[in-house]
Amino acid sequence: MDVLKRLDEIKKEFEAELGGCASPREVEEVRVKYLGRKGELTGILRSISDLSARERGEVGKKANILKNEMAENIRSFGLEKTAESRKKAEKLDITMPGASPAVGAVHPITQTMARINEIFVSLGFSIAEGPEVETEFYNFEALNIPADHPSRDAFDTFYIDNEYLLRSHTSNVQIHVMQKQKPPIQAIMPGRVYRPDAVDASHSFMFHQVEGLMVDEDVTFADLKGALLLFCKSMFGKDIKLRFRPHFFPFTEPSAEVDITCIICGGQGCRVCKGNGWLEIMGAGMVNPRVFEAVKYDARKYTGYAFGMGVERIAMLVHGIEDIRLFYENDIRFLRQFI
Amino acid sequence: MKLSYQWLKEYVNIGVKPEELARGLTMSGSEVETIEDTGGDKVMNLEITSNRPDCLSIIGLAREASTVFDKDLTLPMMAVPEERADKNGPRAECVIKNKKLCPYYAARVITGVQVKGSSEKIKKYITSLGLRPVNNIVDATNFCLMETGQPLHAFDLDKIKGGKIIVREAAKGEKIVTIDGVRRELKPDMLVIADESDPIAIAGVMGGRDTEVTESTRNILLESAYFDPVSVRQTARSLGLSSDSSYRFERGVDKGMIVSSQNRAANLIFEEAGGKICGFSEAGVLKPEETRIVLDIERASRVLGESLQKKGVMRILERLGMTISAEKGLAITVHVPSFREDLKKEVDLIEEIARIYGYDRIPAKITKIIPQVTRKEHSRKVIEKIYRILPALGLDEIMTYSLISRQAAGRFSGINDDIVELKNPLSEEHQVLTPQLIDGMLRAVGWNINRGSRDLRFFEMGKIYSRAGWKRSVTETPVLCIALTGALRRDWQEGERPAGFYDLKGIVEALFETLKLPVEFAVSPIAWLDNAAEIRSAKANAGFLGTVDTATLGAYDISQSVHVCQIKLDGVIEKTDLRNHYHAIPKFPSSTRDISILCDRFLAAGRIKEVICSTGEDLIVDARLKDVYEGEQVGSGKKSLTYSVTYGLDTRTLTDQEIEGVHSRVKDALSGKLNVTFR
Repeated sequence: MDVLKRLDEIKKEFEAELGGCASPREVEEVRVKYLGRKGELTGILRSISDLSARERGEVGKKANILKNEMAENIRSFGLEKTAESRKKAEKLDITMPGASPAVGAVHPITQTMARINEIFVSLGFSIAEGPEVETEFYNFEALNIPADHPSRDAFDTFYIDNEYLLRSHTSNVQIHVMQKQKPPIQAIMPGRVYRPDAVDASHSFMFHQVEGLMVDEDVTFADLKGALLLFCKSMFGKDIKLRFRPHFFPFTEPSAEVDITCIICGGQGCRVCKGNGWLEIMGAGMVNPRVFEAVKYDARKYTGYAFGMGVERIAMLVHGIEDIRLFYENDIRFLRQFI
Repeated sequence: MKLSYQWLKEYVNIGVKPEELARGLTMSGSEVETIEDTGGDKVMNLEITSNRPDCLSIIGLAREASTVFDKDLTLPMMAVPEERADKNGPRAECVIKNKKLCPYYAARVITGVQVKGSSEKIKKYITSLGLRPVNNIVDATNFCLMETGQPLHAFDLDKIKGGKIIVREAAKGEKIVTIDGVRRELKPDMLVIADESDPIAIAGVMGGRDTEVTESTRNILLESAYFDPVSVRQTARSLGLSSDSSYRFERGVDKGMIVSSQNRAANLIFEEAGGKICGFSEAGVLKPEETRIVLDIERASRVLGESLQKKGVMRILERLGMTISAEKGLAITVHVPSFREDLKKEVDLIEEIARIYGYDRIPAKITKIIPQVTRKEHSRKVIEKIYRILPALGLDEIMTYSLISRQAAGRFSGINDDIVELKNPLSEEHQVLTPQLIDGMLRAVGWNINRGSRDLRFFEMGKIYSRAGWKRSVTETPVLCIALTGALRRDWQEGERPAGFYDLKGIVEALFETLKLPVEFAVSPIAWLDNAAEIRSAKANAGFLGTVDTATLGAYDISQSVHVCQIKLDGVIEKTDLRNHYHAIPKFPSSTRDISILCDRFLAAGRIKEVICSTGEDLIVDARLKDVYEGEQVGSGKKSLTYSVTYGLDTRTLTDQEIEGVHSRVKDALSGKLNVTFR
């Protein structure tokens, strides 16, 4: 049966040609060729009446099945090709720069202070604040720093008038807190302080401090060491070691300066720690009973500890910043490093 | 204070290397900052705290070392042996006119000395401490000063007119040439040592050149005294003259050693320069304070958090020069020596024990946390929230000095009297407390533009300061300052998008929206701002907003537009409710209609929105300005504004008729009240 054979051949030819199509246009050409009015299959179907009755049934059935099959194949293959070509046409250059929304940076001093605050809050401290413009009583006298005493040498101060000055430390807030509240007290006092130091790479007439105070019955020097050890490990790393060196502060006794193992060289000795492996980072001690007397606390009943640190110094150590002036120049190339 | 290792070993056989000695001194409170090798000796530089004048001497430091390393201390001879003394020799009278400033003065005459260079040992020791050898007399007094901490002065007795010492306050206009060759004018409150006509020394600070010991000196008067620390401090400060002597008198010398140290110096002079140690005379009385402290060792253990042994505690105190007169259980009575006037109370002794015992031996532990419900004030929480919003809006935080120049403050503050000024500023540049954050902001902007960074979005949260109220007391107000300049965005899709007034206004609106506070803007002229607007929230002034005028920008060397605002945070903090209340999400759909309005170009958009909202009342969900057009199509002097108005209700879906109804009422109101037409 020549016609039936021919139908098989047409099917093969069609499949091969359709498979070779790369675009919807080519698919359309194939459709016209095989299913169009001038198509061979159309011709066969049209001339079916010329065949014998037996042949007619067999060829007719097979030709119709083939026609439907071809139409379906063209439809689905065409859709596929159309989608493919659309994708190709709309393809983006993913290496073009993105349009990023702006995200701002918080100043490194704010970030450092926030970090210090968070650690102490997690240790149970509350946060207290007080005025920068202060009287001699809160800045000096209540803290056992009498006038015309060499201990004032360490606290050169800006004066506003005979009554007011700019606080030289945030210790004034300790006095305000103790006047307002009876023990127990567990608070930190972050804030801005002023000392008439000429500005250079390591001095600034304005800087920031965080101080802490704990007062209750039976607060000990061991508690102070415990709190500061936890703080320093949280702030500088768990392998940090602490050293408490006896020192003198009028408002604490016993007093200490607190050193940590140098975070630059790990205690081996380098330029930052001046070769001795230790970095001084804060002052601390047990609250002097004279301070308790100034705020009318029973100095026999209560003990307490206090500590204080400079935020700029800590930020400089943590970030490896060598010039304190960078914090107040506000160069955007500096600020955006702390995003 | 400098310390020679070899010199220290004269008094205590320390038995440890210099480095170990340095560590021991540092860890007991006398911090060794540097150790210098001087060939055959090690010289340490120590930081001595102001409460320890006794450590401003080699003997004082030797006592510390003897305690830390538990070794015996040997002191030099502090009396004049009979064979060196000439009891019948001359003496010099001394008179004190002001016993408050000089409670005690002792003068010793030494005759027949031979002034020449000192012995090698004296030279070596004083040189190691940074002193320049002068002659055997001056060197002996300096040696004794360093050894005992008592400043001494030797006068050429033959140059003291009348041969008599008068300790008095300076007369007005009196002058003296000090041994450093400087002619100094004295003030009436300064204490001087004088002969019968002139001052011959500034008491406790420096001697005079006219009576100094020279090669021709034969007879000397050796002074040893106690001068009031505050007076010496004030005199030294007022003259800008600090000496080894004033440094020690300011901190208080050992009242029990005035004469002993003088004897020690007399002996040294005798050994170095020969002669005869003659008459001694004194004026005034000086009784060292008798301090007795009862120390409860139990309490010491409680304060330190470490259980202390009585025997060890007593050993430490005795090594430090104290005597224990009574014991009652764990309570001991301690007598404090005259050189430790800093020890007055029990806690002072607890510190002594702790620093020698070793802070490092006290354990670190946390035994308690105080239960507190509120650990952050509301104000701090609001500030923290603002800190989360502003960087998310693309703003970088800056931090500027609170102290600015008077001139800069004047640029932004209306009334000069309100400015808070320092009495002792470091410089004109930082003379007053800032009344606005604008100066610091514009400085930061100028700094960056000068260095090639032109696109800036800055904020600062800080305080401003002013005098207010009838008492003119200083108030500190927290404020937020924001500035935008240059391009807001610069990218290949949109090109350059300059930051404008409306971008800053949008940031302010976003901030208030996040804090759930209302915000309004009202025209309100400010001299240095173009397009100045007052920011208002809940009927109160909350700050200002605008574009800095070119004249002001010129002062900061800025030539591009800068938009700034300053928001007072005290009111914002007070009104902010940090709680988030849930409101039901709308269940019923809303629908949106556009209105295109043609109106006079000066008609305020805020007015149009007001009319839309007040007319539609609760049926209006939102009225958003979608488009603005000015140009040929609408004719000159006109503008076209398109609003998208959204209608809806919480309780049901509005019908088409209702929407059309309210929409046409809105249009009627607009044309009726504002005389606008529609496109």
